[in-house]
Amino acid sequence: MTSTTAHTHTLDIINLNIALPRGQRLLRNVSLQLEPGEVRALVGESGAGKSMIGKAVLGILPHKIKMTEGEILLEGAHLNAMTPATRRRTVAKMSALIPQDPLTALNPVRKIGPQITDPLIRIHGWSHQRALARARELLDRVHIRAPDRVMHSYPHELSGGMRQRILIAAAFAPSPRLIVADEPTTALDVTVQKQILRLIRELQRETGTAVLFVTHDMGVVAKISQKVTVLFAGRVIEDAATHTVFENPAHPYTQALIAATPTPNVSARPFQPVPSALIAELHRDTVAADALFAQRGRR
Amino acid sequence: MADVTTNSPRLILTDTNFRLWLPLLWIGVIAAAALLAPLIAPHDPLAQDLMLERLPPFFMDGSEPGYWLGTDSLGRDVLSRIIYGARIALFVSLIAATTTGIFGSALGLIAGFYGGWADRVISRLVDIWMAFPPVLFAVLLVAVMGTGLGSVIAAIALIDWTRFARVIRAETMVQARMDYVDSARIGGARRAATLVSEILPNVMPSIIALLMLEMGIAVIVEAILSFVNLSISSDDPTWGSMIAEGRGAIHFAWWVLLFPLIALFMTVLSFSTLGEGLKQRFDPVLK
Ligand SMILES: Nc1ncnc2c1ncn2[C@@H]1O[C@H](COP(=O)(O)OP(=O)(O)OP(=O)(O)O)[C@@H](O)[C@H]1O
Ligand SMILES: [Mg+2]
Repeated sequence: MTSTTAHTHTLDIINLNIALPRGQRLLRNVSLQLEPGEVRALVGESGAGKSMIGKAVLGILPHKIKMTEGEILLEGAHLNAMTPATRRRTVAKMSALIPQDPLTALNPVRKIGPQITDPLIRIHGWSHQRALARARELLDRVHIRAPDRVMHSYPHELSGGMRQRILIAAAFAPSPRLIVADEPTTALDVTVQKQILRLIRELQRETGTAVLFVTHDMGVVAKISQKVTVLFAGRVIEDAATHTVFENPAHPYTQALIAATPTPNVSARPFQPVPSALIAELHRDTVAADALFAQRGRR
Repeated sequence: MADVTTNSPRLILTDTNFRLWLPLLWIGVIAAAALLAPLIAPHDPLAQDLMLERLPPFFMDGSEPGYWLGTDSLGRDVLSRIIYGARIALFVSLIAATTTGIFGSALGLIAGFYGGWADRVISRLVDIWMAFPPVLFAVLLVAVMGTGLGSVIAAIALIDWTRFARVIRAETMVQARMDYVDSARIGGARRAATLVSEILPNVMPSIIALLMLEMGIAVIVEAILSFVNLSISSDDPTWGSMIAEGRGAIHFAWWVLLFPLIALFMTVLSFSTLGEGLKQRFDPVLK
């Protein structure tokens, strides 16, 4: 787990705790690892803290939300030990984000081109020409016709699917070691979702980039990931290989989550939502755990 | 939406024409008058001639050729005084609005973007400032600083920076929460850099609209201060002092009051309409 181990994880989160100013915890002792080239799905209900993990890694936690405990290592480098400037550059060099909402993730008053090439020039020190060529190459790879025209457009002139493909191109352009994909298909309509998912998977395989894939769709998990982390109320309740989770889920919540996933070929089975009694019980557990944590803190 | 308006057969008064070109035309005329005043004014705006007092405008009986808009009680040419008045009006509004705009917008951007104590200090200052009645404040200020263009400009900036600060703070707060700011930071942009290169372009249309509105307001404030004799010396032709003088003669020489009033009204209206027009024009999302 520490830097003395022979190989380094692409991402190593150790015992991460994140809290609001008044001490309410949003993440509770979260640990997870990503090996180079691995796709790890991060699942859990809305509000579980999935996005918070991604934000903590990328250094974009909202103002008042603070890391209270834990370590984040990117390619073996301790992010917390760095000065803000070094951390910013390290994160920019090694990681990227494919965001949930392709509409708000692009600046509406700036043209597409500079929004892709800015980091390449700023962080990687590329020439303008080289950055442009790279942007063109990636836009081509994500099947955007007339990349040059697109780079001269404003975001509102493009469709949602196109914008998301542009954001995928932008994420892969600097050849990052890690990409956080935060529900990259949720804001898109179903036909486009499949294309986008396929594109991310293809590019991930070609480049060998590790991806932390946030989703609450177990169907997507089965398709894209090798590992799964299940999060509930800011706690990791299951962490295993994807096939293990589907064949033999350890935690009742995970079992319920898989049962709640509609499968197209088993149309006879009725849809079963996650039982509310189970969710209530888990929340009680969380409250108890927090009380324990608070006691420990006081001692 | 944009395509429909540009491809359909054009009416003279489409919305864009109305909001952009009409006010621009009027402001262009006023600006030309201001710049070329010595060349185009038919008479010396200060020259008094008691033989020619209260001449009516050209379309009325008893008008004198060359005195297009008539003369005032001292026989001074109204048109020439309006032309020279445009100089003062535009000069004051330009300087006052840019000063106010830069100062107020900068504070609004800082408060909205950094939040925390910077926001608390600036917002509190705005609240306290706005508790003063503005006209009283202006009059007080000019009384203390003495009359003159400098005091007028300072008065406008000191009163109205809060308008920019409030509006721009609110807009900056909205923009600062947008995902594209996070995207830029993940791409390695410094915090202050995202304020300048990501957020500022988004609030720019509002700044421009406010700037135009402010220019209109500055014209009015200058006129009000002239009206109460607190602007520059009363001999100088300003629209406000002309209106003040014309008021006394309204029953027998209405033109002395009406023409500068029209000039003032049209200019103020043009600035505020132009503000809206420019905002739409330069906002790629609204366009
Ligand atoms: N700016 C904020 N201030 C206070 N609390 C916040 C803030 N942002 C998020 N939270 C809280 O943090 C918790 C985790 O939020 P997070 O966005 O990580 O959830 P999520 O798992 O990504 O959910 P979703 O699937 O809806 O995106 C939630 O309970 C949320 O209420
Ligand atoms: Mg989320």
